[in-house]
Amino acid sequence: MSDESQKAVSVGAEDGGPEPDALRRRLLKLAGAAVALTLAPGVTVLARDLVVKGPRGRKSAVRYGLLIDASACKSGCDACVRACQDYNGLSHDPGPDNAQWIRKVTITNPQTGLSRSFPVMCQHCENAACVDVCPTGASFRRPDGIVLVDKHRCIGCRYCLMACPYKARSFVARNVEDQKPWAPRGKGTAEGCTMCVERVEAGKLPACVTACQKAGHKAMMFGNLQDPKSAIAQRLSEVATTTIRADLGLLPSVHYRGI
Amino acid sequence: MRARAGLWAVLAVVVALSGVWVAHRGRVAVPAIVQAPGHCVLKTSVMRRTHMQLLRAVREEIVRHDVRDTRFRLTHCVACHAQRTSAGRAIPVNAPGQFCASCHAYVGVRLDCFDCHASVPAPGGVGTPLKGGAVQAAFRMPRALRASQAAAPGGRP
Repeated sequence: MSDESQKAVSVGAEDGGPEPDALRRRLLKLAGAAVALTLAPGVTVLARDLVVKGPRGRKSAVRYGLLIDASACKSGCDACVRACQDYNGLSHDPGPDNAQWIRKVTITNPQTGLSRSFPVMCQHCENAACVDVCPTGASFRRPDGIVLVDKHRCIGCRYCLMACPYKARSFVARNVEDQKPWAPRGKGTAEGCTMCVERVEAGKLPACVTACQKAGHKAMMFGNLQDPKSAIAQRLSEVATTTIRADLGLLPSVHYRGI
Repeated sequence: MRARAGLWAVLAVVVALSGVWVAHRGRVAVPAIVQAPGHCVLKTSVMRRTHMQLLRAVREEIVRHDVRDTRFRLTHCVACHAQRTSAGRAIPVNAPGQFCASCHAYVGVRLDCFDCHASVPAPGGVGTPLKGGAVQAAFRMPRALRASQAAAPGGRP
């Protein structure tokens, strides 16, 4: 830094620019700005969470999320998984290379024997690892917090499959036929839960949430986490919840209760 | 000298034979386009020339920028242009001889939209055909194409 400033001073003096003293003052001001920037991140992270700026400069105060109550989720029930497969045109067959956008996971505490079953899908992280590693920008996070794959840009490198700690991404290894018009899928691209983005934009609930309600379990709740009046935000402020692998600091949009 | 004359003779025979082959080989059928019901979002001449640019511009807006009020959507194209069998089943637009495939075969351009996208309309709901002149009034030209279309004669109806 000191070398650079020395160099800058000498260049400024040769060009007949400001006097060395004035230049030093300017450099000091710049240094002050740099300190402010390094102090800022704690503030900007919070600000970004509240108001996400869209690509068109539109301000988005929306962050869609899920609250999954593992104590209400029934262990034998896979209504959410089936609904996801039906809606998005995925195979019911749990073959080794078939896509899994959502899966039921059972965890047991070996000390107490307590067992819990709950669905795990793309956690739509704020600091999504898949977005970080994607070499083409195909993995991206929308202003409303939904993490998607832009399959027009995906080159099928599968970095995102490796990076995701939730194993939420799948790779399409074979030709696909009979796709749903709202869920394009094709060989050679990565894919994962889209939070049923078409449905959400039409004001409907994701297919898994609807199925869970129909099954009578009401273990899944969907809504805007940013809106303090939304049912999900109020519920999150009332009950103790957590996110899976919260220690990774990815800040998922999917919250769990009772795990 | 004689060798050179022989070479020319062989060359002439080859050219003549290839001419005969070109004249008699199977030609790609001229596309037989079936008029879709209702109105298209733009004039046919414009759609023929720019549909690929429209789709490319719009896919960015839809997928990445959450803009879904556009009229240029592949699902709408499919909804109108997919023909139906007498039994009422939709025929994929990329099946041989169908709307997309016949033109793309004729011009020799690979059609890869339908590697991922549905080539038949949804049974109901998403991708219903657009009707009426209101379509032209309501559509919004993607920003990337606005300038070029404004310059083109008869670009926008």
